Amino acid sequence: MAAQPRPGIFTGRLFTRKAVAVPAERSVRSFIPVVLPVIVIGALLLLLPTFVPSYIQSLVTKMMIFALFGVSMNILWGYGGIPTFGHAAFFGFGGYACGILIIHGGISNFFLNLVLAIALTALLAAGLGIPAFRVYGVGASDNPIYFLLVTLAFGELLVRVAITARSLTGGSTGLAGIPYPQLDVLGITINSRSFYFLVLIIVVVCFFIIYRIVNSHYGYALRGIHDNERRMQALGYNTWLYKYTSYILAGAFGGIAGVLFAYFGGVMIPGTMGMAMTDIVFLIVILGSASVYFGPIVGAVVIVGVEYLASLYVPDRWPLIMGAIIVVAIMVIPQGIGVLLLDLWRRLIHGST
Amino acid sequence: MSTFTITTLNGVSYAFILFLLAAGFSLTFGVMGVLNLAHGALFMMGAYFGLAIVARLDTFWLGVLIAALGTGLVGLGIYYFFLRHLYGKVPEQAVLTIGLGYAFANIVLWIWGPFAKMGMTPSLFTGVVRVGTLAFPIYRLAIVGIGLAVLILLWWMQDKTRVGAIIRAGMDNKEMTRSLGINYGLVSTLVFLFGAALAGFAGMLGTPILGAFPSMGDALLLLTLMVVVVGGTGYIQGTMLGALIIGLLDTFGKAYVPEIALFTSYMIFLVVLLIRPSGLIGRKVF
Repeated sequence: MAAQPRPGIFTGRLFTRKAVAVPAERSVRSFIPVVLPVIVIGALLLLLPTFVPSYIQSLVTKMMIFALFGVSMNILWGYGGIPTFGHAAFFGFGGYACGILIIHGGISNFFLNLVLAIALTALLAAGLGIPAFRVYGVGASDNPIYFLLVTLAFGELLVRVAITARSLTGGSTGLAGIPYPQLDVLGITINSRSFYFLVLIIVVVCFFIIYRIVNSHYGYALRGIHDNERRMQALGYNTWLYKYTSYILAGAFGGIAGVLFAYFGGVMIPGTMGMAMTDIVFLIVILGSASVYFGPIVGAVVIVGVEYLASLYVPDRWPLIMGAIIVVAIMVIPQGIGVLLLDLWRRLIHGST
Repeated sequence: MSTFTITTLNGVSYAFILFLLAAGFSLTFGVMGVLNLAHGALFMMGAYFGLAIVARLDTFWLGVLIAALGTGLVGLGIYYFFLRHLYGKVPEQAVLTIGLGYAFANIVLWIWGPFAKMGMTPSLFTGVVRVGTLAFPIYRLAIVGIGLAVLILLWWMQDKTRVGAIIRAGMDNKEMTRSLGINYGLVSTLVFLFGAALAGFAGMLGTPILGAFPSMGDALLLLTLMVVVVGGTGYIQGTMLGALIIGLLDTFGKAYVPEIALFTSYMIFLVVLLIRPSGLIGRKVF
């Protein structure tokens, strides 16, 4: 019962992680501050392909994929307070599962492929979650170092498996030749523009589902575990189950992002499951702010955008730039851009307060 | 029989390289509870610093010294500017130091180029010893000797000196240590500098065997983590044990069952983490 939201508090931080008491307001007041921006951004995204060149369109596609990747990770880190360092494993695994199913399994139907890849990724998360949460313990959000190491090792282990199983995964050169998804059933042929809309639809649907999840009773219980796991246990919650299922959920959504990424790039390399990728997604979440739902979306837009600019002007210096962004994100704006944007937006809405 | 002897010798000398690699990390992670995932990159930078000196002045041992000093300073910078402010924020420490590691690798790539460099064996330790019909390089034996010396030094520091006592006290209760009038901040800064310097020292010593290339930090970091976690955090003898286990297992695995050798260390790592997260000997740091 304690996890039930109390409505009506609009002061302070609306979607912040600590504010267990604040649900999404369903009153008329929330139309302008919450619904309007979503509609405007949605409309912009729908109209975008008509007035921008195709490279921007492909850049935005990539941003959306990484936004989903970041938001899926934030289920764990922002809401559950569980710092996984192997989230890229699910991203890469989903992509590989998709590619292998197409190239070696001969499954061309997009929906079947997507469902199978999600199921496989969820299964992997379910398998890895059991040993991983053995070292997490209770209330470990303050000292999660062993969980961090275990999940990191899982990711790197999968990288090694992908390098070794050459006949299936193409080894260290990667699995190449993943075609655009086939939607012949619907009478649509996919080119880069319709792929943009496909990604947009899937990502928006996933955002909506995740939003409903983290703002449901389940999501509030997860926040409660983040704040005080012992208390949640005393209230009768099976906290292990909450953490475990959130790990699977996050893994599955990360897998969807991976599937889209595999179609997007047409190639999967082992590194997408490893430490470097996990660091990028963690950076996306921290930079965008973990305590706001849309934080990782902002983070993804910034990171993918900067990476694109870097690839244009200083293609060899991306790791250096990333290092600089990390330093700024952690040392200078630890609360994240998302919180800054939210404050700015509130100030605009409510005048000078 | 002589294959077995050679494999054992190889395993032991590899274990001592691993020990040198992990000792600095063990010091900062196990003892201070600071996660410095740029350790692999520091090792790599040590190798490059040392090789740059060797290329100009042609003295191996000065190279080792400069490597240790250089990476020590870099490590000091990481600690002073970043990690000092992130106590207790483990995920942030991890993200930051991994990112710095990649940035360092990129800087090294920028300056020295992508191609691997090999170090020359110092003239003092060139040549081989004969074991039956097979030959074993003296340099690897020298590594064992240096590793032993470092082990004894660290062990002595940990158990017998005032610095060791302060660190152990700080590990148990930081506030209490501070309130006794001990400048814990200074001590931990120095320990961090020392740990980073050890990485550079090991990096240069490893060049005749491992070589040096910008992206070597990743693989080395994982090895370091395995060694420290398997052996146990908080004690230097735990790191030695972990290095012996991983080193011997890896070498014997590659010699006798090469098809699964890539995974043996990972398996041990995971099994130990799941059964005894604090390592075989050692105490739970966190």
